Amino acid sequence: MSFKSGQFEAIRKKKQIPECGFKPTPKKTRLKIRSGAVASANGSALVKIGSTTMLSAIKMEVMTPSLESPDEGCLAIDFHMPPICSPIVRPGRPAEAAPVLSKQLSDTISSSGIIDLKELSLVTGKAAWMAYLDVYCLDADGALFDAALLSAVAALSHLQIPAVSMNDDGKIVLMSDDDGQKQAQEPVNKEKRNLTLRSIPFSLTCILHKNYILVDPTAEEESVMETVVTIALDTSGQLVSLYKPGGPVLAFTPSIQDCVALTRQRVKELKGILEEANSTMQVE
Amino acid sequence: MEYVSPEGLRLDGRRPMEMRQIRAEIGAVSRADGSAIFEMGNTKVVAAVYGPREVQNRSQQMSDQALIRCEYSMANFSTGDRKRKPKGDRRSTEISLVIRQTMEACIMTHLMPRSQIDIYVQVLQADGGTRSACINAATLALADAGIPMRDLVTSCSAGYLNSIPLLDLNYVEDSAGGPDVTVGILPKLDKVTLLQMDSKLPIDILENVVQLATEGCKAVANYIREILLENTKQLEYRRGV
Repeated sequence: MSFKSGQFEAIRKKKQIPECGFKPTPKKTRLKIRSGAVASANGSALVKIGSTTMLSAIKMEVMTPSLESPDEGCLAIDFHMPPICSPIVRPGRPAEAAPVLSKQLSDTISSSGIIDLKELSLVTGKAAWMAYLDVYCLDADGALFDAALLSAVAALSHLQIPAVSMNDDGKIVLMSDDDGQKQAQEPVNKEKRNLTLRSIPFSLTCILHKNYILVDPTAEEESVMETVVTIALDTSGQLVSLYKPGGPVLAFTPSIQDCVALTRQRVKELKGILEEANSTMQVE
Repeated sequence: MEYVSPEGLRLDGRRPMEMRQIRAEIGAVSRADGSAIFEMGNTKVVAAVYGPREVQNRSQQMSDQALIRCEYSMANFSTGDRKRKPKGDRRSTEISLVIRQTMEACIMTHLMPRSQIDIYVQVLQADGGTRSACINAATLALADAGIPMRDLVTSCSAGYLNSIPLLDLNYVEDSAGGPDVTVGILPKLDKVTLLQMDSKLPIDILENVVQLATEGCKAVANYIREILLENTKQLEYRRGV
């Protein structure tokens, strides 16, 4: 433990963390969102928080809905950490963090209720949309969950559901722009539309160390300290998820409340940046 | 189907001897020792190089040279239909082998014995010519990592449709069923390190097509040199030289 404290002191002096324990919240210039990064996908976004880079893209396919919920579509979320992102990821052996983050992301997005699965339905009982959301980590420099969640949310807000119609065989086909046979086909989804997003979740990862809270850690800081707390709030201020997977530092209620307050500040910042990214995309 | 119109324009409006627009960026992945993004038209590829570092599998360690490893993988959303198996499939394994052997030919492995150099290539958008884009990206990433090489390796593809040799095929032209020739050269030494071809092609036409692809490789090499020069100038400014 003393070896690690020594390293922490070195990082503290290098990063100039003030005695009060709060690292200054990262400036807006360090955070970038670019919607529509992947032209071949129905919705995509590239997010950079510091050096951590996440690329997410959504591909839509038509499927038959399940019997229990015939009027709902499906959203499948998968998180990948390819070997390019970090020196500790080896090919053939997926990173330990990848399936953990995949589940965390899946749970947070479904529990936040950001999209209504009923919007993904086409023909009740017969056809519905299956949206595959793949998040790829291109550069892993700490606080992966924050960047992954932000890019997933940005991709969902950029998503445009393609226009389809049902042909005579009862199959759903994509409507092409120069469709001369429009009379024979019944448009199921008239034109491209966006999903309505209800409450958007944003998150913040902090590290607890003795009586310090380090906000938005880099990979160097994460490797030295073991107690990580991730809090996700939605835009209405409700707590969506709280994740503290063990760790040597015990979290007393005041520290958790401080983390939640920091997350609230972050949510305002992220909301502004996401709206800006969406509006610049619409202008184009 | 007509791939070249009577006026001499291809499906995307290019001339037969015209390459797609190239764009490259060095240092995209901060955690890697060297990295680069390479775009050829709509094909977008990220390459990251880790090394020279300690060999992870002691049994593969070589006492007189460096071990080169390469992995090629495609993102699920890179192609038109979502890919189910982005890595272990045969095509990816074959391309990983091809890239590894191509780069091995030009890296001076004898200077770094008992070490390992990992080249990882990730395809973000695939629109034909991914093999070439990967090799070009890997060259830039290796240069960014400061790994000693004999020469740059550049690659380009060419085909033959409607009796006309075409340079730099995109996905539609590639799936047309005509021959697809991929060439990889060491531009300064003027040597061919990679030559692959699918489908059938009369031998007298092969020379033309290979020559065309080689011209494409040289154009890519000029662009890569410009990018590296620009990058070096930036590094000089930052060091205050």
